[in-house]
Amino acid sequence: MNTIKLKGVVPEIFASNKELRSEVWLSDVEFEQGKRYLIKADSGTGKSSLLSYIYGQRGDYRGDILFNDQNILTLSSHDWCMIRQSMLSILFQDLKLFGELTALENVEIKNRLTKTQPTRIIKGWFEELGIADKLKTRADHLSYGQQQRVALIRALCQPFNFLLLDEPISHLDDRNSEVMRDIIIREATRQGAGIIATSIGKHMDMEYNKILSL
Amino acid sequence: MRLIWKLLRKHISLFELGIFFIANLIGMVVILAGVQVYTDLRPLVSGENALVGNDYVVISKPVKRVNSKAVFSPEEIEELKAQPFTLRLGEFTPAQYQVYGGININGQALSTLMFFEAIPNEFMDVKSKEWKFKPSKNKIPIVIPRNYLNLYNFGFSQTSDMLPQITESMMKDIELELKLSGDGNSQTFTGKVVGFSDRLNTILVPYDFITWSNKRFAKNEQVDISRLIIEVVNPSDPALLSYFKEHGYVPEEKPAESSKALFLLRVGVGVIIFIGLVFSLLSLIILTLSIYLLLQKNIEKLENLRLIGYTTSAVARPYNVIAVVLSVSIMILSVWIISRMRLLYIDYLAESTGREIHGTMALTIVCGLALMVGIIIFNIGIIRRKIVEISRKR
Repeated sequence: MNTIKLKGVVPEIFASNKELRSEVWLSDVEFEQGKRYLIKADSGTGKSSLLSYIYGQRGDYRGDILFNDQNILTLSSHDWCMIRQSMLSILFQDLKLFGELTALENVEIKNRLTKTQPTRIIKGWFEELGIADKLKTRADHLSYGQQQRVALIRALCQPFNFLLLDEPISHLDDRNSEVMRDIIIREATRQGAGIIATSIGKHMDMEYNKILSL
Repeated sequence: MRLIWKLLRKHISLFELGIFFIANLIGMVVILAGVQVYTDLRPLVSGENALVGNDYVVISKPVKRVNSKAVFSPEEIEELKAQPFTLRLGEFTPAQYQVYGGININGQALSTLMFFEAIPNEFMDVKSKEWKFKPSKNKIPIVIPRNYLNLYNFGFSQTSDMLPQITESMMKDIELELKLSGDGNSQTFTGKVVGFSDRLNTILVPYDFITWSNKRFAKNEQVDISRLIIEVVNPSDPALLSYFKEHGYVPEEKPAESSKALFLLRVGVGVIIFIGLVFSLLSLIILTLSIYLLLQKNIEKLENLRLIGYTTSAVARPYNVIAVVLSVSIMILSVWIISRMRLLYIDYLAESTGREIHGTMALTIVCGLALMVGIIIFNIGIIRRKIVEISRKR
C-alpha cells in the first residue's frame, strides 16, 4: 500500500454543518508511504473518527477513502484481516489492551499472529521504555501511561506501510515521549513506512512532512 | 491459540454447558434407543420367516349369481396397480383342470376333489427350500392354510376315533396322491405339504407348476383371475377401503396380529424418536443461547481481536473446539449407553421368541454419527454467524 487518499470525506454528523473549516474534511488529501503527517485538532473535531475510518473500524462517513486506488468499502472481512496484519498498524487512543493478559502477553498475542519481531527486540523495547519490570503484570494493573507504551510495542509487532498514532503521548512525560518517538522513527524508517499522528495539543516532537488541522 | 483461549474462556459457564450436555445426551440416547430397538425387532416383524407378516390385503369380488364368475378384468387390475396405496400386486392363478387328491392315514383312506392356486413367490409368507417344481421329478410341494390343519384336528379327528390328531411336522411327512386330468391328459403326482400359511387362505403350489400344468391339462389359454393379493403401506388406509367399497371388491379378513404388530412397532418407535428429537432440539436451543450469551459477554474482546488482525475463524476456534468436544463425547457416551441397554433386553427377546437376534449396532452408530455431524455443523454455523455479526456492527 503506497498511498491513502481521502476524497471529500466527512463524518455523517458533520455533513450538514456548513461552517466546517478543515484541511481534511471535505477536501482531497493524500498520505504517501514514507512521509510523516501530523493532524492537529481541537477536541471533538473527529480525529479519532478519521483514524477509525481509515482503519476500517467505522463506516459512518460520506466521501471516499482509497488505499492506492481501491475504495476501502470494497474490501472483504478477510482483506481487512490481511491489511491489519501486514499493512496498517494503529495505536488506538483507548489502547484496546486485554486487561486479564500480562503486558508481555498483550504484545505476544499480536506478534504470534504476525511472527514479526524476535522476543529479544520486544524485551529491548520494554527496557527502553522503562517498563521491563512490568512484563508479567496484568495490563489492567498498569497505569495509563504504562499501558500506552505496551500498546505501542504491540503496534510495532507487525509489518506496516502506515502507522496510525492516535494521541500517542497523551499520558507520557517528556523523557518517555522522546524514547517513544525514537523507537517509532527507527522502526518506521526501517520499514519505509508512513506515519499519521493526531494530537489535540501535546504532539510528538519530530519532523513532519505536512501538518494538517482538522 | 493459548492466549486466545486464556482470553475467551472467561465467562464460560460450566452450568450451562452441563445442562446442554445432559439434555443432548438424553435426546441422543432416546433417539438411538429407538433406532436400536427398531433394528432388533424388525426382523421378527417382517421379512423372511417373520413372526408376523407385512401388510397384505387379499381381495375378491362377491359371487352374485349362479353361473356367473366373479373375476377381475385386465383393466381393473391395471387400475389397481396404479393406485397410490398399492406397493405390489400379485394375481392368484388357479389351476384350470381337475385335481383329485387322496391320503392314507392309519389305513383310513380319504380322498376328495381339490383345487390349486399359485401366487408369485415374493408374496409367499412361507419360505421353504422345497418350494420349487421340476417336471421330471413328479413331485409337487404344497402350502396349505394353517387353519385347515386346525379344521382337521379339532373337527374331523374329534368325531372319529380312527382319525388321529396330527402335528405340523407329521403333516409334512404325509404323502398325497394327486391325480391331475384335463384336456385329454392325466397324470399322477406325489404331493407334499412343505409349509402352512397364515396369510393365504388357499391351497398353494409353486407358480412355475401352475404355468406348466395349465398348459398341459387345460386348453384355455385365458386364465380367469378371481383373487388378488396387494402389498400396502397401511391396510386400514381410508382411501384404500373406500376404493374397494366403490368398486365392490371384498377384502378378506386377515390374521389381525400381523399388521397390528408392525403398526404398533412403527408407531412406538416413531414416538420414541420424536421424543428424542424434541430433547435434542431443546438441548440445541440451550446451547445456542449459551453460546450467544458467552459471545455477548466477550464481545469487546472479540472486537479487539478482530481489530488487531485475527480472522473470524481464528476467533471462533476456541468455541468450535468446545462444541466439537462436547458433541463427540455425547455421541460416544450415548452409543456406550445403548450397547449396555441392549444387553438388558437382547437375551430376554431371544428367549421369549426362540430366535436369535441378528441385529447389529451399525445403523445406530451411523445415526449417532450423522446426528453428531449435524449438531457440530449447526454449532459452528451459529458461532460463525454471531462473530461475523459482532465484527460488522461498527
